[in-house]
Amino acid sequence: MKRVTPNHIVVPRRTPRRFYGHGIPGVDLDKLAGRLIVVEGADGSGRSTQIAMLVEWLEGSGHATVQVGLKRSTLVSEELEKAQEGNILSRTTLSLFYATDFADQLENIILPALKAGFIVLADRYIYTLMARDMVRGMDEAWLRNLYGIALEPDAVFYLNVPPEELVQRGFAKNAALDYWESGMDLGLSRDMFDSFMKYQDAMQQTFRKLQATYGFTIVDGMRSIEAINADLRKKISAVLAGH
Amino acid sequence: MKTFAELGFPGRLVAVEGLDGSGKSTQIYLLKRWLEIQRLKVYFSEWNSSELVKSATSKGKKRELLTPTTFSLIHATDFADRYERHLVPLLRAGYIVLCDRYIFTAFARDVVRGCPPEWVRGLYSFAALPDLTFFFKADLEVSLQRILDGRPQLKYFEAGMDLRLSSDPYESFRIFQGRMLEQYLAMSTEFNFLVVDANQLVEKQQELVRELVAHRLNLDDFRRAERPSSPPTPAAPRKNRAKPNEVPE
Repeated sequence: MKRVTPNHIVVPRRTPRRFYGHGIPGVDLDKLAGRLIVVEGADGSGRSTQIAMLVEWLEGSGHATVQVGLKRSTLVSEELEKAQEGNILSRTTLSLFYATDFADQLENIILPALKAGFIVLADRYIYTLMARDMVRGMDEAWLRNLYGIALEPDAVFYLNVPPEELVQRGFAKNAALDYWESGMDLGLSRDMFDSFMKYQDAMQQTFRKLQATYGFTIVDGMRSIEAINADLRKKISAVLAGH
Repeated sequence: MKTFAELGFPGRLVAVEGLDGSGKSTQIYLLKRWLEIQRLKVYFSEWNSSELVKSATSKGKKRELLTPTTFSLIHATDFADRYERHLVPLLRAGYIVLCDRYIFTAFARDVVRGCPPEWVRGLYSFAALPDLTFFFKADLEVSLQRILDGRPQLKYFEAGMDLRLSSDPYESFRIFQGRMLEQYLAMSTEFNFLVVDANQLVEKQQELVRELVAHRLNLDDFRRAERPSSPPTPAAPRKNRAKPNEVPE
């Protein structure tokens, strides 16, 4: 006798899990009952707005959630922030520093939360880290090995917004373009606007390249906030149902 | 992976590896003195990491926040920082760079901690191989005695306490060092370690080290260019003034 009550809560269906590469030693993948949902996209693509709405919806539907993002680890977030301000670390060093930040959150937040059956919403994941480094000429195979520690998410959504629109959204929020989001360290142009456009363009091309390998879902970020959210909810519902 | 010589660097990197207490630091110091006295361009990399990376590493260690993966990554970050800021520029400038420990320490240590060997090696694949690697091979008991005789305060990670090998730090250190030695020995052939019997007298070891360095490196290539002595004219106005150590007339 199966009766669906109005407050019936969907229990996420279990699906096989894997790490992208060697993973984290000693983790039993079968014990990770939760779900890992990643939202990727440039600054201004609407990631945080969408994540906030997803949390509302998921919690309303009876799921426990946890949020993670880049540069939020206990171990190195402070130092990373300073490193960016001063622009004093070389390429490989900064890359490994970010990987340390990621690994710390993976082991101390993401994996325990998944084990406890939470839905983990990640505001960016390894793809942004890889794309940034690839645009800066780092070896893709080296990056793939480095991030072989990462768990494959249940879904990855890339909010696609063209650079022309990103720059407008950026100015609507702040008066100035961000140094790193403009790729000023690359010396693409001394004109910050030019540099921003070139850098964001290169980032999008790199994301498309990564999409071929990692197969994430590209979401049109030019639609209304509600339309995008409805789209995401539909796709996440399918993930929870085990499709 | 290639050595700095194979990559066309004018400088050469000499690394020493071995367990704590194997005497490698003494040996590299004596090597440095010998090269300096010959007025060669030599630099001993003292592993000065930048304040930022150091701050994260010491926080992680003090508060025991590190897992095998983050331990490995934070040390790789630290190494990359020194590699990019110190080693590469010095080697480009034609220095003989002496390193007390290099990537092999990480290869051994991280694998003992349970990280996959291929992953660890991949992390460090941005680094070139040393041109010479001395491995100071002492009997495990000899090196353990040297460290433990003083009954030092062994630090948590240094003693491998995170591996839960034993609740006694000294016992844990012994087991940890034993496993490190196994890893070093397994790498010895692959990476052409020049194995020095570290049970011998300091002088005997140093004699061998100097002999191998002189044989493998063309030391004349690293001589500091003599700067031409300052021309006698034009006379600086100060010249008429008495120097502090001269008696004025």
